[in-house]
Amino acid sequence: MYSVFLWRKGFRKDDRANYFLILAAFGLHTTAMIDRGFSINSCPVHNLFEATLFIAWTIAAAYLVFGVFQRLRFLGVFASHVLFFMGVFALMPALDPPRMAAPDFSGTLISLHAALILLAIGSFGLSAVAALMFLTEEHDLKAHKFTAIFSLLPPIQRLERVMNSLLLCGIFLFTAGLTISPFLLKQKYGVWFKNDPLLDYSVFIWLFYLGLLTSRWKFGQGGRRFAWSTAGSFAFILLTFWGFLLLSQIHHP
Amino acid sequence: MNVVVIGLSHHTSPLELRERFAFAESKIPRALAELRHSGIAMEGVILSTCNRVEIYAATALPPAKAFSELTEFLVRCGGAAFAPVAEAIYTLAEPHSLKHLFKVACGLDSMVLGETEILGQLKDAYTLAHSHKHTGARLNKAFQRAFHVAKHIRTHTQIQRGSVSVASVAVELAEKIFSSLPERAALVIGAGDMSEKVARALLSRGVKNIVIAGRSLERAERVAREFGGRAVQFENWTREFGNIDIAISSTSAPNYILDRAKLEPLMKLRKHRPLLLIDIAVPRDIDPAVNFLENVYLYNVDDLQAIADDYLKQRKEEIRVCEGIIDEKVKLLIEPQVGPRAGAHLHVAPDSGGR
Repeated sequence: MYSVFLWRKGFRKDDRANYFLILAAFGLHTTAMIDRGFSINSCPVHNLFEATLFIAWTIAAAYLVFGVFQRLRFLGVFASHVLFFMGVFALMPALDPPRMAAPDFSGTLISLHAALILLAIGSFGLSAVAALMFLTEEHDLKAHKFTAIFSLLPPIQRLERVMNSLLLCGIFLFTAGLTISPFLLKQKYGVWFKNDPLLDYSVFIWLFYLGLLTSRWKFGQGGRRFAWSTAGSFAFILLTFWGFLLLSQIHHP
Repeated sequence: MNVVVIGLSHHTSPLELRERFAFAESKIPRALAELRHSGIAMEGVILSTCNRVEIYAATALPPAKAFSELTEFLVRCGGAAFAPVAEAIYTLAEPHSLKHLFKVACGLDSMVLGETEILGQLKDAYTLAHSHKHTGARLNKAFQRAFHVAKHIRTHTQIQRGSVSVASVAVELAEKIFSSLPERAALVIGAGDMSEKVARALLSRGVKNIVIAGRSLERAERVAREFGGRAVQFENWTREFGNIDIAISSTSAPNYILDRAKLEPLMKLRKHRPLLLIDIAVPRDIDPAVNFLENVYLYNVDDLQAIADDYLKQRKEEIRVCEGIIDEKVKLLIEPQVGPRAGAHLHVAPDSGGR
């Protein structure tokens, strides 16, 4: 809530209160992760719930390092929103299934597949953050607001470039992650392709992002529409991914 | 030894008076030598700029006596009669003199609040006096501390943040849109005084490619030569839109020379790269409706002035913060002196300082 207020103020100066709020949350988050880690006697990254929270923890840690520098402390306004939505996402049903007796380390391909897909989603998430920065600054510039030039946000052209690069990185990782899927299906079910809601959903997401990048390269699509598409598509992933994961027979046999 | 200040500035006197008292740089060392030999001051620094002429002196004389001698010295140097200038001259003793020095260094006493040029001028004045051995422990410490405080205030407050001139605001806007200004190209449509100022400000931030489109090609070519750019016929300015990123318009056309219908196809040629339009003309050259186009950012002179005013307002809001820091630093500077000897000076100061 405090970050929403800071956002409206226009990132005029670094805010220590926000930094310390995130620091306090980070402390509690670390305590909870250590507690969980001790209770299972291993690093708490075994399922999507734990993976999401681990990513949130690394984002908070990264921000706390960047936030040491006065000029970059405003990033906390964006980080706190991302962390909040990741927290909400992690609480969705079935992301934290009951634990097996011992962690299963047998599937190297599965781990690689999950890691690549998670990294891709992380990349899409970061591009969505850049898109939100872009939209905020673009709105202020269009409305001739004083905050447009007084804020600490980078130039919009640079933000657009960052969005593009992160999407490119995301689609590369997502493609790599999806390429492994047929091999996993062959390993487990003896087929190269199996109709599955999450698989169809992933292909749809891949096609959507590919379309987004193609429209940019081919038709020079940029600016506000590109930023809205980037932010909107990530919001769509956050809101729908868990649902398709629930429906998936492959991921929840 | 007490640090005192005597002088006149834009606050107390008009330019006609200030220019009579201005010291040429070459004459300052001799004036300082004269000041010291006369016994008025043990150490001295003369600051002479277009907005102020001030003598900073470390003197063993009681402040009241020092002020009258310094005023006489200043009047003699200015070749003026005492009576008409007496009201314009201000005198300050410690701690007000030190506070004033710090305020001057921080740009708090400047015509353009928070400007940084004065710090350079103050450093030059001090260096000149120091190189001719007219400063000693007292003024060295005071000036070094003033430079330190100016740096501290620049880093920790918003007093020097932003631009308070229309031309600089335009450049700041460009920096918020484009990731690198040196790679950008600017088009100046109709070379007027203000548009030239904006173009000059862009050049100072690294813009290399400037195109001038004027009704008089001869004048446009002259301006282009000055900016290291090139001139085009006024009728052909739209042809440049594919390559430029910033357009500054200040023609005397009675109607809009650029509207939405005209710009839309040009934006397609630009492959939707951002375009900053600065309309300085009155009446306006660019239809405000173009601001609704994606990737187009239009600012007219009122928009720029409003931003400059906001900056100034914000700087004014910071004055109190800066003064708080200065008070604290002045206290720290004079604190070690507080003792039986220094007490006499500090006692006199509040009554005699500040006119």
